[in-house]
Amino acid sequence: MLQRAPLPEREALIRFDQVWKSYGQGEAQVHALAGVDLAIARGEFVAIMGPSGSGKSTSMNIIGCLDTPTSGRYDFMGVDAGRLDRGRRAILRNLYIGFVFQGYNLLPRTTAAENVELPLVYRGVPARERREQAMDALAKVGLTGREKHTPAELSGGQQQRVAIARAIVTEPMLLVADEPTGNLDTERTHEIMELLTALNRERGLTIVMVTHEPDVAAYADRSIHFIDGHIVPGVPSREVA
Amino acid sequence: MLFETVRLALRSVKRNALRSFLTLLGIVIGVAAVIAMITIGSGTTEKVKSDISKLGSNLLVVRSGAQSSRGASREAARPLGDKELAALSTQLSGAKAVSAASQMQVRAVFGTDSITTGVTGTDPAYFTARDWKIVEGRNFSDSETRTGAGVCIIGNTVRKQFFGGGNPLGMSFRVGKMTCKVIGVLETKGFSGFGTDQDNVVMMPLSGFQRRISGSRDIDTIYVSAAPGTTTSALQDQMETLLREVRRITPDKEDDFTVRDMTQIADAMASTTAVMTGMLGAVAGVSLLVGGIGIMNIMLVSVTERTREIGIRLAIGAQERHILVQFLVEATVLSLLGGIIGILIGLSLAGLASSTMSIPFAPSAAVILLAVGFSGLIGMVFGFFPALRGARLDPIDALRHE
Repeated sequence: MLQRAPLPEREALIRFDQVWKSYGQGEAQVHALAGVDLAIARGEFVAIMGPSGSGKSTSMNIIGCLDTPTSGRYDFMGVDAGRLDRGRRAILRNLYIGFVFQGYNLLPRTTAAENVELPLVYRGVPARERREQAMDALAKVGLTGREKHTPAELSGGQQQRVAIARAIVTEPMLLVADEPTGNLDTERTHEIMELLTALNRERGLTIVMVTHEPDVAAYADRSIHFIDGHIVPGVPSREVA
Repeated sequence: MLFETVRLALRSVKRNALRSFLTLLGIVIGVAAVIAMITIGSGTTEKVKSDISKLGSNLLVVRSGAQSSRGASREAARPLGDKELAALSTQLSGAKAVSAASQMQVRAVFGTDSITTGVTGTDPAYFTARDWKIVEGRNFSDSETRTGAGVCIIGNTVRKQFFGGGNPLGMSFRVGKMTCKVIGVLETKGFSGFGTDQDNVVMMPLSGFQRRISGSRDIDTIYVSAAPGTTTSALQDQMETLLREVRRITPDKEDDFTVRDMTQIADAMASTTAVMTGMLGAVAGVSLLVGGIGIMNIMLVSVTERTREIGIRLAIGAQERHILVQFLVEATVLSLLGGIIGILIGLSLAGLASSTMSIPFAPSAAVILLAVGFSGLIGMVFGFFPALRGARLDPIDALRHE
């Protein structure tokens, strides 16, 4: 079974130091991120905003340890995560990071409970414990009684709740959400955002959320705006609200 | 974890039932062919062995003429006669029975019924030497043997042809120009592996046969069976020395007779069928290779189809080896399943063949285990490349895949 290391308290969970991400060679080279500095503390709820191609998805992939910077340094929990190989980043994701995607990304023809159990399977948790933890996580997102349903039998909002349950079942340090309400109507969006806010407030879960909707970003403690691979100074969303 | 993966693999196989079935058809056919070939082959080997041992165990057969590998050149062959028989009967140590026999196909007639049958002129020791029992009646008496009386011991085919279910003992019928009275019936032997009816026979004393049927004093064959504790090869050496003496063959000349050891012939024939079995099995094995390529093909399709699933798994913490093992197990489960179905089909085919061809059904646990192991191995080998391809996917690209 994978084991977590003890955490230093009160430290920046995420720190970008002159992070560049470039694609292509020579004249055709494109910089998705051009020297980004960024710090997110534990327990923060941060929205990342910006038009498509601005670098917000790239930075989210790096924050989620799915990708690495071309140059510069990315520290996650004080670890130089940008230098880690594929295998170590996979372990880091499994132990500390939960993902929620726009398209839910649940495994089809697989029950809600089994979907939620999946990260625990890769962590090597025994079956009985896995089942209990999955039930707990589904209860937290308000889906008790739907454990045996497959994604096709659930509404969009319910599917996203399953995805959130799957993300939090490992009790991660960080939740990375990529347009979590992009496929949902206003009412469902509100419900999901309330759920995320509650997880942030009550459990101190750090959330980094990519969105292009100001209404959604308004739920976060602050917003970071990307344009052309740079962070532009924005207005803290709480003050607007 | 492994149990979990196997369950996952079985589910995925079930989900694409038709595709899975078509994929494993290659393995099924390959394994079924190998199992059927080898099982039928070893049944045939056993059949040949037992047929030859029915000719008599520890039996040495003397015939005139040299044993030639260049083809039979029997022109100068002097026939066997009384002096060879007398020498072998009296001067061998370690012989259980020595018997002379001559044979001819003759028409036998009983009332309006007739049958062409193999008539053998011989002596009472014949039945000991050939290990052939008289189940009804009795053997030739010494005086009958000496005088060549018109008595005979018949095989079951002749008995049924002439007497049906009735008692044949004491009945008389004509064999060629002579009349003979039935004094015994032989144990049923059935058909030989070469398709001749071993029960279509009439046995009579040799002297009567020579006088009234063959019209010559020649002896076709002398049978010598070894006593317990004597090896056939030792006996064979003795016989060859003795026969050279009796037939006055100078040391510069080759034997003009042949002593055959039936045990050796049985072994030779059995090893021939075993080689044939092996070759047929190997040919069938080629189709297993083809089946393996089929599995590789479908696993590549499966990895491409499930790119997004792989992306999800990688994002939520699966490591490369988890994905690798998942697809490897899936390929192995698929080919093992094919292997097991193939074994069942192969065994039923072999069972069917053995009952129609009346050969023993000889399934071998070793071959079955080997087939299971080999089909599993094929899944692993041919599943490895597609699985590796899946495991090496970039999670970001994989998640973007529609």
